[in-house]
Amino acid sequence: MSRYIAKRLVSMVITLLIISSLTFSIMHSIPGSPFTKDRALLPEIEAALMEKYGLDDPLWEQYLNYLGDFIQGDLGVSMQKIGVSVNDMINQGLPVSAKVGSIAVIVILALGIPIGMISALKQNSIIDHIVMFIATIGIAVPSFVVGTFIMYIFGEKLRLIPAGGLDGPSSYIGPVIALAGFSLAYVTRLMRSTMLEVLRQDYIRTAKANGLSQLRVIGKHALKNALIPVITYVGPMVASILTGSFVIEKIFALPGIGKYFTESVTNRDYTVIMSITLFYAAIYIFMVLLVDIAYAFIDPRIKLDD
Amino acid sequence: MWEPINKDLLGGAQETRKSLTYWQDVWRRLRQNIMAMTGLIMIITIALLAVFGPMFSGFTYSEQNTALANIAPNIELTSIGDGDYVFVHNDYKLINATSEGELLGAPEIIEDNKTAKFILYNINGKEVKFDYSIAQKARTKGSKVTETNSDMKTKYDIYVDGQLIDKYDVQSIWNKTYLLGTDNLGRDVWTRVLYGARISLTVGLVASVVNLFIGVLYGGIAGYEGGKVDNIMMRIVDIINSVPLLLIVILLMVVIEPGLQTIILTIGLVYWVGMARLVRGQVLSLKEQEFVLAARALGVSKAKIVIKHLIPNAIGPIVVSMMMSIPSAIFTEAFLSFIGLGVSAPEASWGTLANDALGGIRSYPYQLIVPSVAIALTMFAFNFLGDGLRDALDPRLRK
Amino acid sequence: MKNEKILKVKGLETSFFTHLGEVKAVRNVSFDIYKGEVVGLVGESGSGKSITCMSIMKLLQHPGKIKNGEVIFKGEDLVTKSSKEMRKIQGDEISMIFQDPMTALNPVYTIGNQMVEVIRAHKKISKKEAEQTALKMLEAVGIPDPAKRMKNYPNEFSGGMRQRAIIAMALSCEPELLIADEPTTALDVTIQAQILDLLKDLRTKLDTSIIFITHDLGVIAELCDRVIVMYGGMVMEEASVIDLFSEPKNPYTIGLLKSVPNPDILIKQKLIPIPGSPPDMLNPPKGCAFCKRCEYAMEICLEEVPELYEVTKRHKSRCHLYHPDAPEVVRKQVM
Repeated sequence: MSRYIAKRLVSMVITLLIISSLTFSIMHSIPGSPFTKDRALLPEIEAALMEKYGLDDPLWEQYLNYLGDFIQGDLGVSMQKIGVSVNDMINQGLPVSAKVGSIAVIVILALGIPIGMISALKQNSIIDHIVMFIATIGIAVPSFVVGTFIMYIFGEKLRLIPAGGLDGPSSYIGPVIALAGFSLAYVTRLMRSTMLEVLRQDYIRTAKANGLSQLRVIGKHALKNALIPVITYVGPMVASILTGSFVIEKIFALPGIGKYFTESVTNRDYTVIMSITLFYAAIYIFMVLLVDIAYAFIDPRIKLDD
Repeated sequence: MWEPINKDLLGGAQETRKSLTYWQDVWRRLRQNIMAMTGLIMIITIALLAVFGPMFSGFTYSEQNTALANIAPNIELTSIGDGDYVFVHNDYKLINATSEGELLGAPEIIEDNKTAKFILYNINGKEVKFDYSIAQKARTKGSKVTETNSDMKTKYDIYVDGQLIDKYDVQSIWNKTYLLGTDNLGRDVWTRVLYGARISLTVGLVASVVNLFIGVLYGGIAGYEGGKVDNIMMRIVDIINSVPLLLIVILLMVVIEPGLQTIILTIGLVYWVGMARLVRGQVLSLKEQEFVLAARALGVSKAKIVIKHLIPNAIGPIVVSMMMSIPSAIFTEAFLSFIGLGVSAPEASWGTLANDALGGIRSYPYQLIVPSVAIALTMFAFNFLGDGLRDALDPRLRK
Repeated sequence: MKNEKILKVKGLETSFFTHLGEVKAVRNVSFDIYKGEVVGLVGESGSGKSITCMSIMKLLQHPGKIKNGEVIFKGEDLVTKSSKEMRKIQGDEISMIFQDPMTALNPVYTIGNQMVEVIRAHKKISKKEAEQTALKMLEAVGIPDPAKRMKNYPNEFSGGMRQRAIIAMALSCEPELLIADEPTTALDVTIQAQILDLLKDLRTKLDTSIIFITHDLGVIAELCDRVIVMYGGMVMEEASVIDLFSEPKNPYTIGLLKSVPNPDILIKQKLIPIPGSPPDMLNPPKGCAFCKRCEYAMEICLEEVPELYEVTKRHKSRCHLYHPDAPEVVRKQVM
């Protein structure tokens, strides 16, 4: 087990190295520097700036410097916002994104799994049809539309929730619904279809033939098997929800991490793009690793020692 | 009664049931699925509208008419006598219209007095005075004037040839000139939504083509070759898969200008990954089966085994996965365009339409509702059809 | 064999209500099972043998439904019982094992966990005691080192071992009736023989009655006391094993026996397949289900379903040839 995890961590570092070098070379292959903007800078000033940020060093040296700093936990300084470090941005933005995100994840799991199960057990009943109808809407309507309408109806018209920012519990309602909506619908549908699949399996028939109660057949034998595909989806989902959704943060004016990222792209802020990219990728890969470990715990057929 | 039967009269001993080919059977089950058929009809309708609709809409997606900007699909007409009607625009101006709801354009202005807050128009020889100073008076008195549409009537008076007319005597009618209204630059929303459909369907088409050609072949080769080749090919897939989609788009944006080609390129880069994994898994399990061994023993070439024997046997999951990749690609495009990383103005995509509408959502919610409904309907259609196909292609349900 | 009747199936009719119409899978099936005997249920795929047993256990899946009939077990009709009442009987007094041991156990729980669960579902005993019972059962079915194996997951067992574990699980509450639905079909021949030996052995030890579903006549000869032959959802012949193999009384059974290779290499007998294929149960023939494939079919066979005639004591056959008016010559020629 520990050997497997160590192996996976090594491959995670390799993947991150590949991503970082790709990102680095892509960014530096574009003509111009972060300082070529609308108004032309004096050549001397630009040269000074280039020197200050080490942009006049050979590329490989810049890359190695960057990596060295990154390993030490220094994610660099923004080239556009004077004096703001990427660490500051993450320190400010991530708690906000993660707080809203973790509530959304809890909502998705706490509602999606049981509702999907009930829907499968009551297949073709009215409850099932209603659940599937709502879930299909949830999948069909993009989060930015849901967010905007929640904002418009509940924030502007009815004034039930604050019109932006985060103050008080009611301000979480909008972002959480908008953030959770799609995944909640997806998890519900996934849970329902895998549950139906599992209920057709021979071992469920065995459990029934042995006179086990409905609760045990469903809650013990079917549930654990049905969770396997759901976990596959939930891993990357948690990563993307925790790190915030640009759109939701934009609509609800949340000071999350997504805002900094979109800004950095339009501003061509090298250090910020690099660092946040790597940060995102790291969380994402880490979640995938967690999913694989969770697999091994749920399904004994999966061996982790190779 | 106790005589032996003449077997020849029975038409042979063979008991046969009318049998259907695989695709006939799939089609039969799909046809019985109302939701799936609704989805299919919706997709065909959307595709026809996207291809031919703009030809008949009478406008182009970029044609601006700022005088007629921000006009809702449902307008209220105030009669000014002699069969003339005006539409009171939120921007404190009048627009001439017919009783059928056709917009005739901005009437001739005689005087536009910004200090006294009135505009004098000449409409078919009548002098129409549009006085919006009461809005200002109300504000100075301290009572609250909200910006919302419904209270518009408290803010103005209309005089025809000096005579105050009843501003509450209005008729609500569908906008015949602009079926779904106009946006903030006076462009026809209907036409722009149709253009958006073109972009969405293009993106969906690209996704399915990429899935079919790259994903199926890549997965097929990896699964069939196995061993080292498989290992390396799947490592590449893992790396692509471990980069969040948004990052790829953003990195591409840095290199090439945002636009449809960026989105298509992104989809081309990443959308085959899921399909490759699925096909690889299917091929891995199928290639051990006897019919493949038989083909190999008969000296059939590798490429032929993969294309003729393995892939057709995995066709069910492939079709379903392809079907499901289309709405996901359309979604991605809308999302990227919404955050400003997609197609650029004046081109119209459902995402950009929704984004453009955000600023005016208080006064012109229809500008957001229209593209949102378009996205949602398309999503419904593809999801319904995808679900139906999944059920129809499921071999366990075959009877 | 004692003469205590433990199961009486009477006029059982089960149908599947599909989109194409009603599929009559089981048509008016009646038979009795006595204590301690092994009854073979033979027939081709689709003859209704599995569905009969699923109906007895009340494990029919949608759209299957028992339309008619009684299943009397210990004086009570199972057909009218609620699923909650049935649960007390399933796995405790009547157990069932299935064809494919590879899929019949839950892959994500250990063998021990699944066995203990079944035992504790029916007996009010502690976990420790249940584990002891499970251990004893695994030992009884010949699993080596059962204490260690109990902690294993199904995927760590071979096919034969899994089937042993499944049998152990089914017998752990000492049921009076075991229904085995082709339990050896998916196994290798050598393993098959071991499982058959095990069942024979257990049957004498535990005095459990067994309904053994199979399409393999060799297995029947090996294990069973009595045989019920099914075709087209109906019982065609019912006899003791010896009677059935030595003097089959139904054209279908005769055909069936002719189409099985004789393992004795000295007897070089030609295999004669039965022409045609089983009837379409969606539109079952009006008369005898077998008549279109029957060598001796008469005009009446097309029109009327024959009765199940008692040819000799404890030997029944569903064939018009046993009608008193039927031509004696043909009957003699057949039998």
